[in-house]
Amino acid sequence: MKITYSWLKEFVDGLEKYTPQDIAYKLTMSGTEIKKLEYIGDKYKNIIIAQIESFVKHPNADKLSICKVNAGTEILNIVCGANNFKAKDIVALALDGAKIGDYTIKKSKIRGEFSEGMMCSEKELGLSQQSEGILILDGDYKPGESFANQVGLDDWVFEIEVTPNRPDCLSVMGIAREVCAATELKLKYPQYRFENEINIDTSFNIEIKDLTLCPRYSAKIFKNVIRCETPLWMKNRLFLCDIRSIDLIVDLTNYVMLEVGQPLHAFDADLLTSNKIIIRPASAKESILAIDGTTRILDEGTIVIADENSPVAIAGIMGGKNTEINEKTKNVFLESANFYGPAIMKTSKKIGLRSEASNRFEKKIDPLLTITAIKRFEELLNKINGQEFEKVIYDSYLVVNRERTVNLRYSKIKQILGIEIENKTVSQILERLGIKNKIEPDYISAQVPSFRFEDLEREIDLVEEIARIYGFENIPTQKLDFKSSQGRYTFNQKTLMKIRQTLEDIGLNEVINYSFIGLKEFKFFKLDEEKSLKDYISILNPLNEDFEILRTCLLQSLVKNLKDNISRKIQDLRIFEISKVFLKDDSNNNNLPVEKTKLAILLSGKINLKSWNCSERMHDFYDMKGILEYLFEKFRLKGKLELSNNEYKFFHPLISADINFENEKIGMIGKIHPQLVDILDIRQDVYYMEIDIDSFIKKSPSQKKFTRIPQFPSISIDLAIVIDDKVTNREVEDEIYKNSGITLVNLRLFDLYKGKQIEEGKKSLAYSLEFRAGDRTLKDLEVEIISKRIIENLNKKFGAMLRQ
Amino acid sequence: MKEKINILKKELGITFEVFTRDQNAVKSSSDLDLLENKYLGKKSLIAQTLKNINDFPQEIKPLVGKTVNEIRRKIEDELKNLRNELNLLEFDKKLREEKFDLTLPGRALLAGSKNILYKVIEEIQEIFIGLGYEIAEGPEVETDYYNFEALNHPPDHPARSLQDTFFIDDRILLRTHTSPVQIRYMEKHKPPVYIIAPGKVYRKDYDVTHTPMFTQIEGLAVDKNINFGNLKWTLETLARSVFGKDRQVRFRPHYFPFTEPSAEVDVSCNICVGKGCRVCSGTGWLEILGAGMVDPNLYKFVNYDQDEINGFAFGMGIERIAMLKYGIDDLRLFFENDIRFLKQF
Ligand SMILES: [Zn+2]
Repeated sequence: MKITYSWLKEFVDGLEKYTPQDIAYKLTMSGTEIKKLEYIGDKYKNIIIAQIESFVKHPNADKLSICKVNAGTEILNIVCGANNFKAKDIVALALDGAKIGDYTIKKSKIRGEFSEGMMCSEKELGLSQQSEGILILDGDYKPGESFANQVGLDDWVFEIEVTPNRPDCLSVMGIAREVCAATELKLKYPQYRFENEINIDTSFNIEIKDLTLCPRYSAKIFKNVIRCETPLWMKNRLFLCDIRSIDLIVDLTNYVMLEVGQPLHAFDADLLTSNKIIIRPASAKESILAIDGTTRILDEGTIVIADENSPVAIAGIMGGKNTEINEKTKNVFLESANFYGPAIMKTSKKIGLRSEASNRFEKKIDPLLTITAIKRFEELLNKINGQEFEKVIYDSYLVVNRERTVNLRYSKIKQILGIEIENKTVSQILERLGIKNKIEPDYISAQVPSFRFEDLEREIDLVEEIARIYGFENIPTQKLDFKSSQGRYTFNQKTLMKIRQTLEDIGLNEVINYSFIGLKEFKFFKLDEEKSLKDYISILNPLNEDFEILRTCLLQSLVKNLKDNISRKIQDLRIFEISKVFLKDDSNNNNLPVEKTKLAILLSGKINLKSWNCSERMHDFYDMKGILEYLFEKFRLKGKLELSNNEYKFFHPLISADINFENEKIGMIGKIHPQLVDILDIRQDVYYMEIDIDSFIKKSPSQKKFTRIPQFPSISIDLAIVIDDKVTNREVEDEIYKNSGITLVNLRLFDLYKGKQIEEGKKSLAYSLEFRAGDRTLKDLEVEIISKRIIENLNKKFGAMLRQ
Repeated sequence: MKEKINILKKELGITFEVFTRDQNAVKSSSDLDLLENKYLGKKSLIAQTLKNINDFPQEIKPLVGKTVNEIRRKIEDELKNLRNELNLLEFDKKLREEKFDLTLPGRALLAGSKNILYKVIEEIQEIFIGLGYEIAEGPEVETDYYNFEALNHPPDHPARSLQDTFFIDDRILLRTHTSPVQIRYMEKHKPPVYIIAPGKVYRKDYDVTHTPMFTQIEGLAVDKNINFGNLKWTLETLARSVFGKDRQVRFRPHYFPFTEPSAEVDVSCNICVGKGCRVCSGTGWLEILGAGMVDPNLYKFVNYDQDEINGFAFGMGIERIAMLKYGIDDLRLFFENDIRFLKQF
C-alpha cells in the first residue's frame, strides 16, 4: 500500500516536526514496515507554473507556435508544438535543467527560433499514460511557483507492507493512528460538516439475505450530482498511490477508500431496475457482465448485490457493466458495505481478481466505517462542487457487540518480555494506540476499540502491543542458561553428515533437485513399469507440467543434471544427491505417503583426464561398485554385500542389479539404458546407483567393537586358473571359500585375462589367498592341502585348470 | 731416553700438522688414497716407527707404541670423516647429474563438494548443538492440521494466502514451512524443548526471487522462564556466529500467526556498512529471519500448561543466508546444479 506524507499530515497534528525519514523509521520499528520511501518532488525540479501571455506562428514551421510566457519574474520565449491553448492559460513549464523522462531540457534553437523551455503535457509529466496537447491548469495558480508544490506533487510516498492481522492499517487513517502511537503526536479526526445532521434511515428497502455474509450495508443516494473534473491535487494523490483517475465519482470512492479504509461502490441509481437492493448468495449458473467487459459465471458461494431482477455487482470485488457510472449519470447510488472476508477471499481467488477493495474485505474491516466513509464522500464532493444533498443514509446491519475488555497483568508482561515496565508507561502506550484503559493494582483493564476488535482479543495480544510500541530495541538481551538440556546429534544424523563428508572426500559433488518432476519424464524412464517405483503422488495444483508429481526415485533428476551440464560443455560428472522420495501408501490411515531418504550417485564421462603420466579413462561400472564397497567398508558394515540381477527397464539389461546386504534389498545399481541416454542426446555411458540411506544407517554399527590384532603370521599364495568365461567371479570365490575353511582370511582377484594366450571362450583368473590361524602358526603343508582341494573342486565343478 | 721419546713426539706432531695441511688439499677419493698411503702406508713414519719398534729400548717400547698409535688413530678418524664427506659430495654430484622437473603437474585427485546449502545448515546446527539444542525432523508431505491448523492458522485465516500451497488433496499438502516439526515434536516430548529443524519446504511461487522448493531452519525453545530477551540473545548469537562478530542485529515487530510478539530480524549490511546500497535496498539492513514468542494457542494443541512454560520460535531461509554470506546474487543457482557453481564451495 502507498500513502503520502502530505495526506498523513492531514490526520496527524504536528507531523511536520518529524521528517518523512523519521516517520518511516518509527513506523518500521513499531511494526509497520516501510518498504520504500520516495521523494516525488525530485522528478519535478525546474518545472514551474507559468502563464501564456501571447503567441504567434513559428515563421519556419506550420505546426509550431512561439509563445511569450510569464514565468513569474520574467517573460520567456517558448516554442511549442501543441495547439490546445489560448492566451492567459496556466501551464506547467519545464525550464533549463528539468528532466522529462530521460530527456533533460536545455535552452536551444528550434527551427531557428530561440526556446527557453518546454510546456508539458500530462504524459510528459508522468501523470498519465496518454494525453493530448499540453496540460492546462484550471484554478488559482501564481506563475513562477513550483509546479510540484502547487499541484500536490511536492510530496513523499511511503510504500507500506501491512501485515494481514492489521486491516485497520490499510488506510491513511490507520497509518496515522500508528504514527501517533509511535510518536507523541495526536490524531486529528476530520470534522464533518454533516456530523450531527444526518438521519440514519433504516426503512429503505435493503434486504440482506444472510447477515453473516453481509453484516452491514449502508448507502446514500446523491441526486442530480453536478459532475466536474476531478481536482488535480486529488488526481495526483491517487496517482501517487497507484490509482488511475477515471471520473469524479469513481475517483472519490477510491480516495475515500484509501483515506478511511472502507471500499465504496457507486452505481448509476437510474440504471437499477428496482428500488430494492438485495444482498444474497448467487444462485447456480447466474452470471453478470462485469465492469471489465467480461461475463462472469457465478457460483453459489459468491455474494452478489442485486436489484429485483438480476445481480448488479459481485460484492466487494467488481461492479456490473449495466449499472456503471457513465457520462449521463445524474443520480448516484453509493454503496458502503461490510462483507464477510472469507467469502470475498474465496470468490476473488476463484475469479482470479484481486482489487484494493477485495483485499480490504478479505481481512475483515470495521463495520463502523461504512457511515464514516459515506460522510467523508459527501464532505469531499461538497468541497469540490459546493453541492448540498438530502440528509438521508440508508443503513441495514447485524447488531453485534464490538466492545471488549481485556485485562493485562503486569506479571504477564514481565514473564513474556523479561522486563518490568512501569504501569504508567503501559497505560500511556495503550492510550496512544487508542485503547482506553484503567490501572488496577495487578493489571490494566483495557477497552479494545471497534477498529481493533479482530486482532486484540487476549492478554498476549496486548503484551505484543506494549512490546512493539515500547520498542524491541529497548528490551534488553538476556543470556539463556541451559541447565536442563544437552545438545547432541542422533546416531542417524551424525552418520548422514559423515556419509555426505565421505562422498565429498572421494570427489563427488552434491546436487539438490526439486522434489517434483513431470509425469512425462516419469514415463520416459519407464518408472511406471517398476513395481517398487510406480506409486507416485500427484500434486493437485502443480506449477506446470514439469512439476506434476513427487519423485519416487532420484534417477530423472540426476540424469537431468548431467544433461544440463553437458549442454554447458561439462561432460565429466560425479554427482550425488541425498533426498527424500515419496511413495503412495494406502495402508497408512492418515494417507501421508511413505517418505524414504535415498542416496543417489551418478557417474559419467572421464574419471581420469589424459595426462603426462596417465592415460584417459572413462567411468565404468566398477567405479560405481567400488564406491558402494567403499561405503560399506568405511562405515564398517560387516556382512554379505551382493549384487543380484534384476532387470530395471531404465538400466542396460545385463548391467542392472539390486544391491542386497545380508539378503535384504538396500538399493539398485546399473548402467542407464543406452537407448534412453541416446534419446536424451547424451553421447556417453551413464552409471547410476541408489541406496536406501535409512536401511544403510540402520545396518551400520553404532558401537564398534575391538578385535584383537592377529598374533600369528599368515601365509599367502597365488592361484591362477583358466576357466569357462561364463562362470562368474562370485561363483569361483564361493567355491574357494567353501573349500578353505576358516583359515582363509583374505581373497582378492588380482588379474583377469582373456585373449590370445588363452583358448577362446575361456578366461584366466588369478587370485591372491591369505591364510591364517588364530591359535598357531600355519604350516606350509596345511595350506598346500587346502589349495590342492580348491583346485580339484574348481575342476570338478567348472572344469577349471591350473594355469601354467 | 726421555730425549728419544721427545724427539719422536715432536716428529709425530709435525707429521700430524703436515697431515692437517695436506688433507685440506684433498679433492677426490684418489687424493684421499694417496694421503692415506702417505701417512699410514708402509713407508710412512708411523708404519716405519712401529715396524722398527725393536730399535727402542725395552722399557720405552710400550710408551712409543702408545704414542704412535694415538697419532695413528687420530689420523684414521680424520681420514674416515674425510672419506664420508667425500662420498657425500660425490653422491650429491651424481644426484645432480639427474634431471627432475618440479613444474610438471601432480597426479590428480578429485575434489568433491558438499552442497552449499548443507554446509550452511551444518554450520547453523553446530551453533545450536553448542547451545544445547537437538535436531528434529518431520515429513515433507504434511496434513493441513500440522501445517496450518495447529499453528494457529484456522481455515479462512488470511495468513494462509501468504503461503501459496501445493496440495495433494484437500487435507494433505507439501509443507509450506518447517514449523509443523514444532507441533510434532511437542506432541511427543514434554518441556524443556530445545530443537532446531532443518528441511525442504514448498510454496507455489516461481520467479527471480522465488523457487517452488527451498530450505528452512526452524528453531524452538520451550521451558520455564523463557522470555523475549532470551530470544534476542539467541538470535544475536546466531547472527554474529554466521555473519561475523562486528555485525549489528536489529529486531522489528512483525506478524506471524504462531508467535506473539513476533519479530523480523535484520543484520547490518556489510557491503555499505549501514549507509544503504543496492543489496540492502538502501536501508542498511538485511532481513535474515522471522521469530517470536510462541503463541499460547499452540500449547493447547499439544497439551502443555501455558501458565507453566514459555517459549520462542524462529525460522530462516537457508538460501537467503547463503546468498548473503557468500554474495550469491541469483537464487536459481541453488537448484540449477551447474558443476561450476557446486565446485566453488
Ligand atoms: Zn547495503
